[in-house]
Amino acid sequence: MKIEDYEVPEGLYYSKDHEWLKVERDVCRIGVTDYAQKSLHEIVFVDLPKCNIDVTSKQPLGTVESVKAVSDYFAPIGGKIIEVNDVLSNKPDLINMSPYDEGWIAVIKPENLEEIKVLMDSTKYAELLKSIIKN
Amino acid sequence: MKYNNGVYSLTLKTQLFQYHEKNSHLVDFADFKMPLWYEGVGPECLAVRNSVGIFDISHMGRTFVSGPDAEAFLNYVTTNNVTTLRSNHAQYTLLCNSEGGIKDDLVIFKLGDNQYLVVFNAGNREKDFTWIQKNSKDYKVELKEASNETAMISIQGPKALATVQKLTTTNLSETIRFDCMFAKVSEKECILSRTGYTGEDGVEISVMNASVNDPSKALELWEDILKAGKDYEIKPCGLGARDVLRLEAGMCLYGNDITESTNPLEARLSFVVKVDKGDFIGKEAIIRKKEDGIKIKRVGLRVIGKGIPRAKCKIIKNSENIGTVTSGTYSPLLNLGIAMGYVPIEYSNEGNKVSIEVHGKLIDAEIVGVPFYDPKIYGVKRSS
Repeated sequence: MKIEDYEVPEGLYYSKDHEWLKVERDVCRIGVTDYAQKSLHEIVFVDLPKCNIDVTSKQPLGTVESVKAVSDYFAPIGGKIIEVNDVLSNKPDLINMSPYDEGWIAVIKPENLEEIKVLMDSTKYAELLKSIIKN
Repeated sequence: MKYNNGVYSLTLKTQLFQYHEKNSHLVDFADFKMPLWYEGVGPECLAVRNSVGIFDISHMGRTFVSGPDAEAFLNYVTTNNVTTLRSNHAQYTLLCNSEGGIKDDLVIFKLGDNQYLVVFNAGNREKDFTWIQKNSKDYKVELKEASNETAMISIQGPKALATVQKLTTTNLSETIRFDCMFAKVSEKECILSRTGYTGEDGVEISVMNASVNDPSKALELWEDILKAGKDYEIKPCGLGARDVLRLEAGMCLYGNDITESTNPLEARLSFVVKVDKGDFIGKEAIIRKKEDGIKIKRVGLRVIGKGIPRAKCKIIKNSENIGTVTSGTYSPLLNLGIAMGYVPIEYSNEGNKVSIEVHGKLIDAEIVGVPFYDPKIYGVKRSS
Protein backbone atom coordinates (compact mmCIF):
# COMPACT_ATOMS: atom_id res chain seq x y z
CA MET A 1 0.00 0.00 0.00
CA LYS A 2 1.03 3.61 -0.34
CA ILE A 3 0.68 6.36 2.25
CA GLU A 4 1.16 9.66 0.41
CA ASP A 5 4.61 9.26 -1.13
CA TYR A 6 5.65 6.34 1.04
CA GLU A 7 5.53 2.66 0.07
CA VAL A 8 4.45 0.28 2.84
CA PRO A 9 4.60 -3.27 1.45
CA GLU A 10 2.28 -5.81 3.01
CA GLY A 11 3.69 -8.92 4.64
CA LEU A 12 6.58 -7.11 6.32
CA TYR A 13 6.94 -6.19 9.99
CA TYR A 14 7.81 -2.65 11.04
CA SER A 15 9.40 -0.90 14.04
CA LYS A 16 8.51 2.57 15.24
CA ASP A 17 12.07 3.61 14.31
CA HIS A 18 11.23 2.87 10.67
CA GLU A 19 13.06 -0.41 10.21
CA TRP A 20 11.38 -3.23 8.30
CA LEU A 21 11.73 -6.96 8.89
CA LYS A 22 10.90 -9.76 6.48
CA VAL A 23 10.60 -13.33 7.73
CA GLU A 24 12.34 -15.75 5.34
CA ARG A 25 11.87 -19.27 6.71
CA ASP A 26 13.84 -19.20 9.99
CA VAL A 27 15.79 -15.98 9.39
CA CYS A 28 14.84 -12.28 9.19
CA ARG A 29 16.03 -9.83 6.58
CA ILE A 30 16.06 -6.20 7.78
CA GLY A 31 16.39 -2.72 6.34
CA VAL A 32 15.04 0.80 6.66
CA THR A 33 11.66 1.87 5.30
CA ASP A 34 10.78 4.05 2.34
CA TYR A 35 9.77 6.78 4.79
CA ALA A 36 13.22 6.58 6.48
CA GLN A 37 15.13 6.80 3.19
CA LYS A 38 12.98 9.67 1.89
CA SER A 39 13.45 11.61 5.13
CA LEU A 40 17.23 11.25 4.86
CA HIS A 41 17.19 11.88 1.10
CA GLU A 42 20.53 11.25 -0.66
CA ILE A 43 22.16 8.46 1.35
CA VAL A 44 25.94 8.67 1.01
CA PHE A 45 27.17 6.31 3.73
CA VAL A 46 25.95 3.24 5.60
CA ASP A 47 27.79 2.07 8.67
CA LEU A 48 27.16 -1.69 8.51
CA PRO A 49 27.14 -4.07 11.48
CA LYS A 50 29.67 -6.90 11.72
CA CYS A 51 28.73 -10.40 10.73
CA ASN A 52 28.46 -13.17 13.34
CA ILE A 53 27.76 -10.90 16.28
CA ASP A 54 24.88 -11.37 18.70
CA VAL A 55 22.47 -8.47 19.00
CA THR A 56 19.45 -7.78 21.16
CA SER A 57 16.27 -6.17 19.95
CA LYS A 58 16.48 -2.33 19.78
CA GLN A 59 20.29 -2.42 19.90
CA PRO A 60 21.81 0.25 17.61
CA LEU A 61 23.41 -1.53 14.66
CA GLY A 62 24.90 1.39 12.79
CA THR A 63 24.09 4.60 10.99
CA VAL A 64 22.59 5.59 7.67
CA GLU A 65 23.88 8.98 6.60
CA SER A 66 23.04 11.62 4.04
CA VAL A 67 25.28 14.61 3.34
CA LYS A 68 23.78 16.62 6.19
CA ALA A 69 22.03 14.06 8.40
CA VAL A 70 22.84 10.97 10.44
CA SER A 71 20.26 8.41 11.49
CA ASP A 72 20.85 5.42 13.77
CA TYR A 73 19.13 2.16 12.91
CA PHE A 74 18.29 -0.54 15.41
CA ALA A 75 17.88 -4.31 15.44
CA PRO A 76 14.14 -4.94 15.15
CA ILE A 77 14.71 -8.42 16.64
CA GLY A 78 17.40 -10.10 18.75
CA GLY A 79 19.66 -12.87 17.44
CA LYS A 80 22.86 -13.39 15.44
CA ILE A 81 23.74 -11.34 12.40
CA ILE A 82 24.50 -13.93 9.76
CA GLU A 83 24.78 -11.76 6.65
CA VAL A 84 25.29 -8.07 5.84
CA ASN A 85 24.71 -6.32 2.53
CA ASP A 86 28.32 -5.37 1.71
CA VAL A 87 27.23 -3.87 -1.62
CA LEU A 88 25.98 -0.88 0.41
CA SER A 89 29.55 0.14 1.32
CA ASN A 90 30.14 1.15 -2.28
CA LYS A 91 26.55 1.82 -3.30
CA PRO A 92 24.80 3.30 -0.23
CA ASP A 93 22.17 4.94 -2.44
CA LEU A 94 20.70 1.47 -3.12
CA ILE A 95 18.67 2.24 0.01
CA ASN A 96 17.19 5.27 -1.78
CA MET A 97 16.53 3.38 -4.96
CA SER A 98 15.26 0.12 -3.50
CA PRO A 99 14.69 0.31 0.27
CA TYR A 100 12.79 -2.98 0.57
CA ASP A 101 14.78 -5.03 -1.90
CA GLU A 102 18.35 -4.33 -3.04
CA GLY A 103 18.82 -1.87 -0.17
CA TRP A 104 18.44 -4.51 2.57
CA ILE A 105 20.98 -4.09 5.38
CA ALA A 106 21.40 -7.41 7.21
CA VAL A 107 20.02 -10.87 7.89
CA ILE A 108 19.44 -11.88 11.52
CA LYS A 109 18.93 -15.43 12.76
CA PRO A 110 16.50 -14.68 15.57
CA GLU A 111 16.99 -16.00 19.06
CA ASN A 112 13.22 -16.02 19.50
CA LEU A 113 11.00 -15.40 16.47
CA GLU A 114 8.11 -14.62 18.84
CA GLU A 115 9.69 -11.17 19.26
CA ILE A 116 8.13 -10.08 15.98
CA LYS A 117 4.85 -9.78 17.89
CA VAL A 118 5.97 -6.44 19.31
CA LEU A 119 6.49 -5.09 15.78
CA MET A 120 3.75 -3.52 13.63
CA ASP A 121 2.18 -5.04 10.58
CA SER A 122 1.77 -2.91 7.44
CA THR A 123 -1.68 -1.64 8.50
CA LYS A 124 -0.44 -0.45 11.89
CA TYR A 125 2.72 1.09 10.39
CA ALA A 126 0.59 2.89 7.79
CA GLU A 127 -1.40 4.42 10.66
CA LEU A 128 1.82 5.54 12.33
CA LEU A 129 2.97 7.21 9.10
CA LYS A 130 -0.38 8.96 8.70
CA SER A 131 -0.11 10.41 12.19
CA ILE A 132 3.50 11.53 11.54
CA ILE A 133 2.57 13.20 8.26
CA LYS A 134 -0.38 14.99 9.86
CA ASN A 135 1.84 16.63 12.46
CA MET B 1 10.62 36.52 19.87
CA LYS B 2 11.65 38.37 16.74
CA TYR B 3 9.97 41.20 14.92
CA ASN B 4 9.39 40.36 11.26
CA ASN B 5 6.62 40.79 8.74
CA GLY B 6 4.74 43.12 11.06
CA VAL B 7 4.40 40.54 13.83
CA TYR B 8 6.46 39.04 16.61
CA SER B 9 7.11 35.39 15.91
CA LEU B 10 9.52 32.60 16.74
CA THR B 11 10.59 32.03 13.17
CA LEU B 12 11.61 34.60 10.62
CA LYS B 13 11.10 34.39 6.91
CA THR B 14 13.14 36.00 4.17
CA GLN B 15 11.75 37.85 1.17
CA LEU B 16 12.04 34.63 -0.83
CA PHE B 17 10.17 32.36 1.60
CA GLN B 18 7.26 31.95 -0.79
CA TYR B 19 9.61 30.30 -3.30
CA HIS B 20 11.34 28.12 -0.70
CA GLU B 21 8.07 26.90 0.78
CA LYS B 22 6.91 25.71 -2.61
CA ASN B 23 10.18 24.26 -3.88
CA SER B 24 12.45 23.17 -1.04
CA HIS B 25 12.82 21.02 2.02
CA LEU B 26 12.84 23.63 4.81
CA VAL B 27 15.04 23.77 7.91
CA ASP B 28 15.20 26.04 10.95
CA PHE B 29 18.41 28.05 10.91
CA ALA B 30 19.28 31.03 13.14
CA ASP B 31 15.57 31.79 13.81
CA PHE B 32 14.78 31.55 10.08
CA LYS B 33 12.83 29.03 8.04
CA MET B 34 15.35 28.43 5.26
CA PRO B 35 15.71 25.98 2.37
CA LEU B 36 17.93 23.00 3.29
CA TRP B 37 17.81 21.62 -0.24
CA TYR B 38 15.65 21.80 -3.37
CA GLU B 39 16.72 18.93 -5.62
CA GLY B 40 19.34 17.56 -3.25
CA VAL B 41 22.57 18.65 -1.59
CA GLY B 42 24.74 16.60 -3.97
CA PRO B 43 23.46 17.91 -7.32
CA GLU B 44 23.31 21.47 -5.93
CA CYS B 45 26.98 21.35 -4.87
CA LEU B 46 28.02 19.99 -8.24
CA ALA B 47 26.01 22.66 -10.08
CA VAL B 48 28.06 25.34 -8.30
CA ARG B 49 31.42 23.64 -8.94
CA ASN B 50 30.64 22.91 -12.60
CA SER B 51 28.29 25.70 -13.71
CA VAL B 52 26.16 27.95 -11.51
CA GLY B 53 23.88 27.93 -8.46
CA ILE B 54 21.73 30.56 -6.75
CA PHE B 55 21.29 30.99 -2.99
CA ASP B 56 19.00 33.12 -0.85
CA ILE B 57 21.25 34.78 1.73
CA SER B 58 18.75 37.43 2.84
CA HIS B 59 18.93 35.97 6.36
CA MET B 60 22.36 37.55 6.79
CA GLY B 61 22.63 40.83 8.69
CA ARG B 62 23.17 44.07 6.78
CA THR B 63 24.04 47.39 8.39
CA PHE B 64 24.96 50.63 6.62
CA VAL B 65 27.68 52.64 8.36
CA SER B 66 28.21 56.26 7.34
CA GLY B 67 29.32 59.59 8.75
CA PRO B 68 32.62 61.50 9.05
CA ASP B 69 34.12 58.92 11.46
CA ALA B 70 32.89 55.79 9.65
CA GLU B 71 36.38 54.67 8.59
CA ALA B 72 37.92 55.33 12.01
CA PHE B 73 35.02 53.60 13.73
CA LEU B 74 35.22 50.46 11.57
CA ASN B 75 38.99 50.39 12.10
CA TYR B 76 38.31 50.36 15.85
CA VAL B 77 35.70 47.58 15.90
CA THR B 78 37.17 45.27 13.23
CA THR B 79 40.60 43.66 12.82
CA ASN B 80 41.41 44.29 9.15
CA ASN B 81 42.69 47.66 7.90
CA VAL B 82 39.75 49.72 6.64
CA THR B 83 42.08 52.59 5.62
CA THR B 84 43.62 50.46 2.86
CA LEU B 85 40.16 49.49 1.58
CA ARG B 86 39.41 51.50 -1.58
CA SER B 87 35.96 52.58 -2.72
CA ASN B 88 34.02 49.94 -4.67
CA HIS B 89 35.91 47.15 -2.97
CA ALA B 90 35.15 44.78 -0.12
CA GLN B 91 37.20 43.09 2.58
CA TYR B 92 36.84 40.03 4.80
CA THR B 93 37.39 40.92 8.44
CA LEU B 94 36.64 39.98 12.05
CA LEU B 95 34.80 41.51 14.95
CA CYS B 96 36.68 40.59 18.15
CA ASN B 97 35.92 40.95 21.84
CA SER B 98 38.45 42.58 24.19
CA GLU B 99 39.98 39.15 24.94
CA GLY B 100 40.71 38.72 21.24
CA GLY B 101 37.97 36.11 20.80
CA ILE B 102 35.99 36.21 17.57
CA LYS B 103 32.52 37.76 17.86
CA ASP B 104 31.85 37.26 14.15
CA ASP B 105 33.48 37.12 10.75
CA LEU B 106 32.08 39.62 8.26
CA VAL B 107 32.53 41.44 5.00
CA ILE B 108 32.77 45.23 4.76
CA PHE B 109 31.81 46.82 1.43
CA LYS B 110 33.16 50.32 0.81
CA LEU B 111 30.56 52.11 -1.30
CA GLY B 112 32.15 55.57 -1.15
CA ASP B 113 34.06 57.87 1.21
CA ASN B 114 32.86 57.07 4.75
CA GLN B 115 30.04 54.99 3.30
CA TYR B 116 30.05 51.28 4.08
CA LEU B 117 27.82 48.24 4.11
CA VAL B 118 28.69 45.65 6.74
CA VAL B 119 27.38 42.09 6.30
CA PHE B 120 27.12 39.83 9.38
CA ASN B 121 26.25 36.18 9.91
CA ALA B 122 22.52 35.50 10.31
CA GLY B 123 22.88 34.08 13.81
CA ASN B 124 24.75 37.19 14.97
CA ARG B 125 22.49 39.91 13.58
CA GLU B 126 21.32 41.27 16.91
CA LYS B 127 24.50 40.53 18.84
CA ASP B 128 26.70 42.32 16.30
CA PHE B 129 24.46 45.34 15.85
CA THR B 130 24.18 45.83 19.63
CA TRP B 131 27.97 45.46 19.95
CA ILE B 132 28.94 47.96 17.26
CA GLN B 133 26.27 50.39 18.43
CA LYS B 134 27.61 50.19 21.98
CA ASN B 135 31.13 50.89 20.71
CA SER B 136 30.11 53.78 18.43
CA LYS B 137 29.49 56.35 21.20
CA ASP B 138 32.77 58.25 20.66
CA TYR B 139 32.42 58.35 16.87
CA LYS B 140 30.39 60.55 14.54
CA VAL B 141 28.71 57.69 12.69
CA GLU B 142 25.24 56.69 11.65
CA LEU B 143 24.35 52.99 11.84
CA LYS B 144 21.39 51.89 9.81
CA GLU B 145 20.20 48.32 10.33
CA ALA B 146 18.87 47.33 6.91
CA SER B 147 18.45 43.55 7.10
CA ASN B 148 14.66 43.61 6.83
CA GLU B 149 14.66 46.32 4.14
CA THR B 150 17.08 44.63 1.74
CA ALA B 151 17.21 41.12 0.27
CA MET B 152 20.43 39.32 -0.64
CA ILE B 153 20.95 36.75 -3.37
CA SER B 154 24.19 34.93 -4.15
CA ILE B 155 25.04 33.51 -7.57
CA GLN B 156 28.06 31.23 -7.50
CA GLY B 157 30.04 29.10 -9.91
CA PRO B 158 32.09 29.39 -13.12
CA LYS B 159 28.97 30.54 -15.03
CA ALA B 160 27.81 33.01 -12.33
CA LEU B 161 29.17 36.15 -13.99
CA ALA B 162 27.80 35.18 -17.40
CA THR B 163 24.40 34.63 -15.79
CA VAL B 164 24.26 37.98 -13.99
CA GLN B 165 25.74 39.85 -16.97
CA LYS B 166 22.53 39.14 -18.89
CA LEU B 167 20.63 41.27 -16.37
CA THR B 168 22.92 44.29 -15.94
CA THR B 169 24.74 46.88 -18.04
CA THR B 170 27.58 47.03 -15.51
CA ASN B 171 30.48 45.31 -17.24
CA LEU B 172 31.41 42.47 -14.90
CA SER B 173 34.50 41.53 -16.92
CA GLU B 174 36.00 44.86 -15.83
CA THR B 175 35.65 43.92 -12.16
CA ILE B 176 37.98 41.86 -9.99
CA ARG B 177 37.28 39.63 -6.98
CA PHE B 178 35.89 41.62 -4.02
CA ASP B 179 34.89 44.61 -6.15
CA CYS B 180 31.49 46.05 -5.24
CA MET B 181 29.32 48.79 -6.68
CA PHE B 182 25.83 50.21 -6.94
CA ALA B 183 24.25 48.74 -10.07
CA LYS B 184 20.92 48.07 -11.67
CA VAL B 185 20.19 44.38 -12.00
CA SER B 186 16.99 43.56 -13.82
CA GLU B 187 15.97 47.22 -13.45
CA LYS B 188 16.31 47.01 -9.67
CA GLU B 189 18.62 49.14 -7.52
CA CYS B 190 21.21 46.82 -6.07
CA ILE B 191 24.65 46.58 -4.55
CA LEU B 192 26.54 44.08 -6.62
CA SER B 193 29.72 42.44 -5.33
CA ARG B 194 32.08 39.78 -6.59
CA THR B 195 32.04 37.87 -3.35
CA GLY B 196 30.76 34.58 -2.01
CA TYR B 197 31.11 31.66 0.37
CA THR B 198 31.75 28.71 -1.94
CA GLY B 199 35.35 29.07 -3.13
CA GLU B 200 33.99 29.72 -6.62
CA ASP B 201 33.85 33.03 -8.45
CA GLY B 202 30.45 34.63 -8.16
CA VAL B 203 28.29 37.59 -7.40
CA GLU B 204 26.29 38.63 -4.36
CA ILE B 205 23.42 41.03 -4.95
CA SER B 206 21.91 43.15 -2.18
CA VAL B 207 18.52 44.33 -3.40
CA MET B 208 17.67 47.80 -2.11
CA ASN B 209 14.21 48.74 -0.83
CA ALA B 210 13.07 45.13 -0.84
CA SER B 211 11.28 44.86 2.47
CA VAL B 212 10.17 41.54 3.95
CA ASN B 213 6.69 43.09 3.99
CA ASP B 214 6.76 43.47 0.21
CA PRO B 215 8.78 40.57 -1.19
CA SER B 216 7.72 41.00 -4.85
CA LYS B 217 10.91 42.76 -5.93
CA ALA B 218 13.19 40.07 -4.50
CA LEU B 219 11.01 37.27 -5.87
CA GLU B 220 11.07 38.86 -9.35
CA LEU B 221 14.84 39.16 -9.33
CA TRP B 222 15.19 35.55 -8.13
CA GLU B 223 13.03 34.33 -11.03
CA ASP B 224 14.89 36.57 -13.49
CA ILE B 225 18.22 35.08 -12.42
CA LEU B 226 16.84 31.54 -12.75
CA LYS B 227 15.74 32.42 -16.28
CA ALA B 228 19.10 34.05 -17.14
CA GLY B 229 20.94 30.96 -15.95
CA LYS B 230 18.68 28.48 -17.67
CA ASP B 231 21.17 27.76 -20.49
CA TYR B 232 23.77 26.92 -17.83
CA GLU B 233 21.33 24.66 -15.97
CA ILE B 234 21.36 26.94 -12.94
CA LYS B 235 20.09 25.28 -9.75
CA PRO B 236 18.59 26.89 -6.66
CA CYS B 237 20.78 25.80 -3.74
CA GLY B 238 19.92 25.43 -0.08
CA LEU B 239 21.87 25.79 3.14
CA GLY B 240 22.97 22.16 2.87
CA ALA B 241 24.95 22.87 -0.28
CA ARG B 242 26.13 26.22 1.11
CA ASP B 243 27.67 24.49 4.12
CA VAL B 244 29.32 21.72 2.08
CA LEU B 245 30.72 24.19 -0.47
CA ARG B 246 32.25 26.50 2.12
CA LEU B 247 33.80 23.54 3.93
CA GLU B 248 35.24 22.14 0.67
CA ALA B 249 36.79 25.60 0.20
CA GLY B 250 38.19 25.56 3.75
CA MET B 251 36.15 28.53 4.96
CA CYS B 252 35.05 28.91 8.59
CA LEU B 253 31.47 28.70 9.80
CA TYR B 254 30.81 31.02 12.71
CA GLY B 255 29.54 29.14 15.75
CA ASN B 256 31.30 25.93 14.65
CA ASP B 257 34.87 26.67 13.56
CA ILE B 258 35.19 30.07 15.20
CA THR B 259 33.52 31.33 18.40
CA GLU B 260 33.93 34.00 21.07
CA SER B 261 36.66 31.85 22.64
CA THR B 262 38.62 31.29 19.41
CA ASN B 263 41.67 33.44 18.84
CA PRO B 264 42.17 34.50 15.17
CA LEU B 265 45.75 33.17 15.25
CA GLU B 266 44.56 29.68 16.24
CA ALA B 267 41.89 29.88 13.52
CA ARG B 268 44.61 30.81 10.98
CA LEU B 269 42.85 34.09 10.22
CA SER B 270 45.81 36.34 11.07
CA PHE B 271 45.82 37.55 7.44
CA VAL B 272 42.85 39.76 8.35
CA VAL B 273 44.30 40.95 11.68
CA LYS B 274 46.41 44.09 11.14
CA VAL B 275 48.11 44.74 14.49
CA ASP B 276 50.11 47.65 13.03
CA LYS B 277 47.06 49.75 12.07
CA GLY B 278 46.29 51.55 15.36
CA ASP B 279 44.03 50.60 18.23
CA PHE B 280 41.16 48.14 17.80
CA ILE B 281 39.11 45.98 20.13
CA GLY B 282 41.01 42.81 20.98
CA LYS B 283 44.37 44.10 19.72
CA GLU B 284 46.29 43.79 23.01
CA ALA B 285 45.00 40.29 23.68
CA ILE B 286 45.90 39.14 20.16
CA ILE B 287 49.42 40.61 20.43
CA ARG B 288 49.86 38.91 23.81
CA LYS B 289 48.75 35.61 22.29
CA LYS B 290 51.22 36.09 19.46
CA GLU B 291 54.07 36.67 21.91
CA ASP B 292 53.11 33.71 24.10
CA GLY B 293 52.70 31.53 21.02
CA ILE B 294 49.59 29.57 20.11
CA LYS B 295 49.24 25.94 21.20
CA ILE B 296 46.52 24.73 18.85
CA LYS B 297 45.49 25.54 15.32
CA ARG B 298 42.75 24.89 12.78
CA VAL B 299 43.49 22.17 10.24
CA GLY B 300 41.77 20.39 7.37
CA LEU B 301 41.09 16.66 7.80
CA ARG B 302 40.51 14.25 4.93
CA VAL B 303 39.11 10.81 5.68
CA ILE B 304 41.09 7.83 4.39
CA GLY B 305 38.51 5.21 3.43
CA LYS B 306 34.87 5.36 4.49
CA GLY B 307 33.02 7.34 7.14
CA ILE B 308 31.84 10.90 7.64
CA PRO B 309 33.22 12.95 10.50
CA ARG B 310 30.78 15.40 12.10
CA ALA B 311 31.16 18.41 14.42
CA LYS B 312 32.16 17.44 18.00
CA CYS B 313 33.83 14.15 16.98
CA LYS B 314 37.08 13.55 18.88
CA ILE B 315 40.42 13.66 17.07
CA ILE B 316 42.69 10.87 18.36
CA LYS B 317 46.46 10.31 18.08
CA ASN B 318 48.22 7.44 19.86
CA SER B 319 45.02 6.64 21.82
CA GLU B 320 44.96 10.20 23.15
CA ASN B 321 42.22 12.77 22.52
CA ILE B 322 44.17 15.62 20.93
CA GLY B 323 41.36 17.76 19.54
CA THR B 324 37.83 18.14 18.25
CA VAL B 325 36.19 18.31 14.85
CA THR B 326 34.39 21.65 14.44
CA SER B 327 32.81 20.98 11.00
CA GLY B 328 32.49 17.75 9.07
CA THR B 329 30.57 16.53 6.08
CA TYR B 330 30.56 14.27 3.07
CA SER B 331 31.90 15.99 -0.04
CA PRO B 332 29.84 15.07 -3.11
CA LEU B 333 32.65 16.48 -5.28
CA LEU B 334 35.42 14.38 -3.76
CA ASN B 335 33.20 11.48 -2.73
CA LEU B 336 34.70 11.26 0.78
CA GLY B 337 34.43 12.64 4.29
CA ILE B 338 36.09 16.00 4.98
CA ALA B 339 36.36 18.03 8.18
CA MET B 340 38.00 20.89 10.00
CA GLY B 341 39.11 20.88 13.59
CA TYR B 342 41.70 22.09 16.07
CA VAL B 343 44.80 20.09 17.01
CA PRO B 344 47.99 20.94 18.95
CA ILE B 345 50.66 22.64 16.82
CA GLU B 346 52.95 19.59 17.03
CA TYR B 347 50.35 17.46 15.20
CA SER B 348 49.23 20.11 12.73
CA ASN B 349 51.61 19.41 9.83
CA GLU B 350 50.03 18.38 6.54
CA GLY B 351 50.41 14.68 5.91
CA ASN B 352 50.11 13.72 9.59
CA LYS B 353 47.79 10.79 10.20
CA VAL B 354 45.20 10.90 12.97
CA SER B 355 42.01 9.02 13.86
CA ILE B 356 38.56 10.49 14.30
CA GLU B 357 36.03 8.87 16.60
CA VAL B 358 32.76 8.65 14.67
CA HIS B 359 29.78 7.00 16.40
CA GLY B 360 32.14 5.10 18.69
CA LYS B 361 34.36 3.81 15.88
CA LEU B 362 37.79 5.10 14.88
CA ILE B 363 38.30 6.13 11.26
CA ASP B 364 41.63 7.17 9.73
CA ALA B 365 42.19 10.70 8.50
CA GLU B 366 45.03 12.81 7.18
CA ILE B 367 45.77 16.42 8.00
CA VAL B 368 45.60 18.37 4.75
CA GLY B 369 45.72 21.92 3.45
CA VAL B 370 42.62 23.68 2.18
CA PRO B 371 40.79 23.98 -0.15
CA PHE B 372 40.09 20.26 -0.17
CA TYR B 373 39.62 20.25 -3.96
CA ASP B 374 42.36 20.76 -6.54
CA PRO B 375 42.52 24.59 -6.98
CA LYS B 376 43.73 24.13 -10.55
CA ILE B 377 40.42 22.43 -11.44
CA TYR B 378 37.87 24.09 -9.12
CA GLY B 379 37.44 27.41 -7.34
CA VAL B 380 38.39 31.01 -8.13
CA LYS B 381 41.94 30.11 -9.18
CA ARG B 382 40.90 27.38 -11.61
CA SER B 383 42.95 27.47 -14.79
CA SER B 384 40.05 26.99 -17.22
